[in-house]
Amino acid sequence: MANVIFKDVHKSFGSFVALEKLDLDIRDGEFVALLGPSGCGKSTTLRMLAGLDFPTSGEISIGGRVVNDLAPGKRDIAMVFQSYALYPHMTVGENIGYPLKKRGIKGAARAEAVQKAADLLQLGALLDRKPKQLSGGQQQRVALGRALVREPQVFLLDEPLSNLDAKLRSYMRAELIELHRRLGKTMVYVTHDQLEAMTMASRIAVMHGGHVQQFDTPDAIYNRPANRFVAGFIGTPPMNQVEGTVEGGDFVIAGHRVPIDRTAYSADLHDGPAVLGVRPEAISIGSGEGLPATVRLAENTGHETIVTLELPDKRRISARVEAARRLDVGQPVALRLDPAAIHLFEATENGARLNLDDTPASVIPMRST
Amino acid sequence: MTAIATDPPRSAVSSPLERAYARLGVLLIAPTILVFTLVIVYPLLAAIYLSVFSIYTPTLQGGFVGADNYVELLTGKAFWNSLRVTLIWTVGTLTLQIVAGVGLALLLHQNIWFRSLARSLVLFPYFLSTVVAVLVWKWLFNDLYGALNHGLMQLGIIDMPLDWLGSMPNAMIGVILVGAWKYFPFVVIAVLARLQTIPENLYEAARIDGAGPIARFWDITLPQLRSVLTVIILLRAIWDFKEFDLLYLLTGGGPVTSTQTLSLLVYQEAFGLNQMGQAAAYSVGMMLVMLVFMVLYIRQTKEKA
Repeated sequence: MANVIFKDVHKSFGSFVALEKLDLDIRDGEFVALLGPSGCGKSTTLRMLAGLDFPTSGEISIGGRVVNDLAPGKRDIAMVFQSYALYPHMTVGENIGYPLKKRGIKGAARAEAVQKAADLLQLGALLDRKPKQLSGGQQQRVALGRALVREPQVFLLDEPLSNLDAKLRSYMRAELIELHRRLGKTMVYVTHDQLEAMTMASRIAVMHGGHVQQFDTPDAIYNRPANRFVAGFIGTPPMNQVEGTVEGGDFVIAGHRVPIDRTAYSADLHDGPAVLGVRPEAISIGSGEGLPATVRLAENTGHETIVTLELPDKRRISARVEAARRLDVGQPVALRLDPAAIHLFEATENGARLNLDDTPASVIPMRST
Repeated sequence: MTAIATDPPRSAVSSPLERAYARLGVLLIAPTILVFTLVIVYPLLAAIYLSVFSIYTPTLQGGFVGADNYVELLTGKAFWNSLRVTLIWTVGTLTLQIVAGVGLALLLHQNIWFRSLARSLVLFPYFLSTVVAVLVWKWLFNDLYGALNHGLMQLGIIDMPLDWLGSMPNAMIGVILVGAWKYFPFVVIAVLARLQTIPENLYEAARIDGAGPIARFWDITLPQLRSVLTVIILLRAIWDFKEFDLLYLLTGGGPVTSTQTLSLLVYQEAFGLNQMGQAAAYSVGMMLVMLVFMVLYIRQTKEKA
């Protein structure tokens, strides 16, 4: 059993509060991504789990054992660093074998374990090379090899793919998913790249301002964002958020009425100011009836076109249409929003979502900063 | 680049612009070459020339003696005794400099509260004039009123004051200590500069891999310091090997010739015994020994480049 639990963990550096009331329950064998923008506290969370930083208060446990006072080497974890942190004066083989050497595993046993890890990562032919003789992708694999050679309970990965080029990154993403499936070990993966989090993780903790905004499956994070931050952070382009007013069965944007289904929202939804959220793909562009808008920009990416539209009150939103669709800049259009795909949020800076379908596992309102 | 490689030899087809650049280049390095020739090449050739004469220093008069001076160098005791003394001094003081220098650099690399003050203070011996340093140390070592003897007697380590600079092996220990004190700051600065460039996450990775503080020193710090230590050791070895002022002022080579290094021997021969020719032969001998260090140093720096 190697579940990881953060219980009421706080961390401050001097007067700066990096993390506040962090509660996370990561199950055995799970692949969890900590996702958020720079400075959200995700790396601090990982470093505390590794034992490289210490919580100001609260409790961290791995496999039922509280590790607050345990040295990193005694936590039965392995970590892959963003910069790989390979020992430059050691060969690939010595790098991979180092954790075993420090655990007193000698001779044939060590060589065999190193060979096994190297074979798994296709590094067999490179064992005698020095790190600087390797490409970025090979160095990355050596760092992985060093992590998995001693079969730790938990793998910690700190933006391990961010120094690779786009092609190699997508290749390594697939490798990591495969590796996780094969090893079945708990993995905690820090990233600021939503694509990595969405494709690799079984659950994602979206972090912002030292708080976990939502801890849920990629599907729930995308389709049922707990609040405006998560809605705006996930998706490329992100979910459109338009401020307006709820009036009976309609949401009013700049004097124009967009029909909504009142029964789909919680009792907290009252007539008055609110924020409408809609994904770019849930907007259909036509003519005649609908919310009037003007085409301002059409970006064809090859398989789709992202259209930037201007509403009558000059606010801009984006929509996703098929690549073949021809739209001219300046062309007036009418937008229709699928009522089933409309999210409503409280009209505050990081307002909570008011739809009834959501049961976010861990929703903490954002600290006002 | 490939275009140049496949071209005929450059001199044959060099353009006027290239020739102008070449002339400018020669012009720019000419002053250096000139000064270098005057102060290095000429004295070197002069020393080799002098070494085959017997010359009385005050008059610079004398006759050609062929290899006599070198025969004296090889068969006499003076050169070999001084070479032995020089090696003991160099190895002794260099070892202390390296151990103290690396140790203090490691300490100053830690987050200690007096770090910036200590970093400035540690340079003090290196900046101090040798004459001043020697005066202070002579006072400390003095057998009648020296602070060192006083302290040791207070602590009950010795019963009677020791003659620090007038007897062996105390005199050698004394000069080695003062040499180490004077020159270890150089090691501290060079090592500290290197320590600051070792990525912190190497240490973090090692901690996660289960390495304790001592293992981290041997497995990360020391290998990372290897190249800078090699250069420091070679440079300091060259400098210590030819050290003159500190030894001359502290013991003058004594007692008798117990701390007379090669530099002091050359000086004694040239200006004490007024035998400039023999002194020149000794200095040529000394230069040949130093050539070993120089070749090592050049090889090392080439490897790095």
